[in-house]
Amino acid sequence: MKRKESRLGHIVKEGILDIFYIWKEELREVFKDQGVMIFFFLVPLVYPVLYAFIYDNEVVRDARLVAVDLCDSHTSREFIRRVDATPDVQVIAVCSTMEEARQMMDRKEAYGILYFPADFSRTIHLGGQGHVSLYTDMSSMLYYKAFLLSATEVSLEMGKEQIGVDPVPAEYVAMYNTQNGFAGFLVPPILMLIIQQTLILGICMLGGTSREKNRFHSLLPDTEHYKGTLRVIFGKSLVYVLLYTLVCLWTLAIVPRLFSLPQTGDPWTVFLFLLPYLFACIFLAITLSGFMTTRESPMMIFVFTSILFLFISGISWPKESIPVFWKTLGYFVPSTPGIQGFVRINTTGATLNEVANEYHLLWIHAGFYFITACLVYRYQLIRSRKLLRT
Amino acid sequence: MTSGGHISALLRVAGREIRRLISHPIYLFCMVGAPALSLVFFLTLMEEGLPSALPVAVVDMDNSAASRSLVRRLDAFAQTDVVMQTPSFTEARLEVQKGNIYGIYYIPKGFSVKAVTGQQPVLSFYTNQSSIVPGSLLFRDMKITSILAGASVGLQKGLAQGETESRLMAQIQPVVIDTHATGNPWLNYSVYLNNAILPGILQLMILLVTVFSVSTEIKYATAHEWLRTGNNSLTVCLLGKLLPHTALFTAVAFAFALVLYGYCSFPLNSGWAPMLAALFLLVTASQAMGVFMVGTLPVPRLGLSLAGLFGMISFSIIGLSYPVSSMHPSLQALSNLFPIRHYFLIYVDQALNGRDLFYSWIPYTCLAGFLLLPLLTGRYLKRALASLHYIP
Repeated sequence: MKRKESRLGHIVKEGILDIFYIWKEELREVFKDQGVMIFFFLVPLVYPVLYAFIYDNEVVRDARLVAVDLCDSHTSREFIRRVDATPDVQVIAVCSTMEEARQMMDRKEAYGILYFPADFSRTIHLGGQGHVSLYTDMSSMLYYKAFLLSATEVSLEMGKEQIGVDPVPAEYVAMYNTQNGFAGFLVPPILMLIIQQTLILGICMLGGTSREKNRFHSLLPDTEHYKGTLRVIFGKSLVYVLLYTLVCLWTLAIVPRLFSLPQTGDPWTVFLFLLPYLFACIFLAITLSGFMTTRESPMMIFVFTSILFLFISGISWPKESIPVFWKTLGYFVPSTPGIQGFVRINTTGATLNEVANEYHLLWIHAGFYFITACLVYRYQLIRSRKLLRT
Repeated sequence: MTSGGHISALLRVAGREIRRLISHPIYLFCMVGAPALSLVFFLTLMEEGLPSALPVAVVDMDNSAASRSLVRRLDAFAQTDVVMQTPSFTEARLEVQKGNIYGIYYIPKGFSVKAVTGQQPVLSFYTNQSSIVPGSLLFRDMKITSILAGASVGLQKGLAQGETESRLMAQIQPVVIDTHATGNPWLNYSVYLNNAILPGILQLMILLVTVFSVSTEIKYATAHEWLRTGNNSLTVCLLGKLLPHTALFTAVAFAFALVLYGYCSFPLNSGWAPMLAALFLLVTASQAMGVFMVGTLPVPRLGLSLAGLFGMISFSIIGLSYPVSSMHPSLQALSNLFPIRHYFLIYVDQALNGRDLFYSWIPYTCLAGFLLLPLLTGRYLKRALASLHYIP
């Protein structure tokens, strides 16, 4: 009985020593490999800044509009003046024919036309409804939005002045992303996605490299230290967890502050939420790395999936409108609950209670992919042992 | 060396490349599999065109016939679905944080009484702008509902005073805006996004495959044999290697066009020729960009990283979701370095708006101009192929 106990103690002690040995080796591998360094450090360092910079202006200001005023009355001129005065739209010219205005659009001098028919003000003065036509270039929805909102606002305002009183005023509040900005909406999800994708690319590249380097193209070196599945998984993940704690600090805490992106979440909640997310991403990446036979294949296979994962997360295309098949598939990717939960914590200030579904799912992911990662390494260990013996 | 010799060398290189494409499944995955998967993914994802039945909550503190009719009117919009009524605003806000709803419509206490007695009760509506698409769509529906709420009160009062309905509407809303969303009157998001995202994915895959196919020659030390097959001429080698890619990628690009403009009947106001020409130019321009990248960074890990990062940034700098003209001036200049940006400008002019070809000559020329890029790094690339040894 006593001997058994001391044997167990020995295994645990040896295991822990091996974990640290593997941890040290893996850390060395990471810092030796330029490709991995790019994904673990350069991309998480530069990309968030780049995206924040691209969307930094947040909203479209002074979208160029041309007016065609066949009416040329006080009312129509007042309308044009007020549209021009809105912050989102700038009226660059008033033309007398539609043809002229169309050509300005063809030359991209304007992205929309506001057309007043000849009887516009007469109709209003006779007590009817005057119609204004708005033509917009649909190359960007933001132009459409800017023109439509500004014109509607002006028409309501002038309407109010006509009748003198507004029976039921309404007020609008944009919640959370109060500037209605593009950066505030798109950058937080991208930051979360970058964490998952760079982990997948980096870890798979490390896997592919060892397959290329090692004897018999096995995933693991044939030294004594790598003889147990758990110690390999623990040793390696320890490296990634440590490195990505720093990466998360930069991408999720510092970058949002630099670019004043929405950041209303409680830091402790964010931390607790990131924990299973990191584990899930790391174990998923380790699982996938078992299938990479060269260092280049991960880049060929996984880079384009970022776009798919971003859309499947339901942040730009609402999750209610995603077909069941893709939604189900999305539940297997950590970024889906990761992005949903993070945006709600970070941008809308939710607590773990409000993101309980996502939080649980991430822990399930972490557990599930931990098992698959173990299976992959177990299989690889048995395979290389067999090859060694023959 | 005669030109006949060059042509037969070129054919030999092309034959060699075709064998490589077939024997390594990664090529077929990247050239056909990934684009096909993306095509199916995005077209089925946005099949609805415009998201419908977005969930909102109503906080009805008034609970009168008038407020209930207001709620019914809001619910009647295709894009809005009133999924719950909460007794207080706090609960509604929690539902937003839980991700169950995107908007809140708040009707104050005493709304109906105040409205008819001229005390101007204030309706409030809220949308969660951390999700911009549903937020904007709901904003529109809630705004219209609020305008109509005012109108209905005015109508009741006016009708009582003996005015006609059309006269009253004219008083409440003297100016009506008729919108004409040129080219995409349905505001279809599938039309809007897929016309740019799918070619963007194609550009990304072309960049990766081009860099990969050249740099693996260095990695697996087959570059010398490749050069020999091509009579030691880099031009012959590159043309022979990349022409089979051009053929396959062009076929994939045309298949995209066939599905988008044919099967899905997306707007194609220019006719087929200008868009097919643009797609062919996009394929070759991206290949040229790829050669340029592998010329500057001939080591696979660096070249591929560059291709991947460049390809991903394309989706933002294309100016689709957020217009380039609103970006920082330095980024506006930078956007010209991306083939997909010029392709997008052509698409907007041609397929979407059906403008005269004359207006698109600049982006067409720019796309063609990318074909000169390999000349810049040609000499460097040849030296790399001849002497660089891959260090893992």
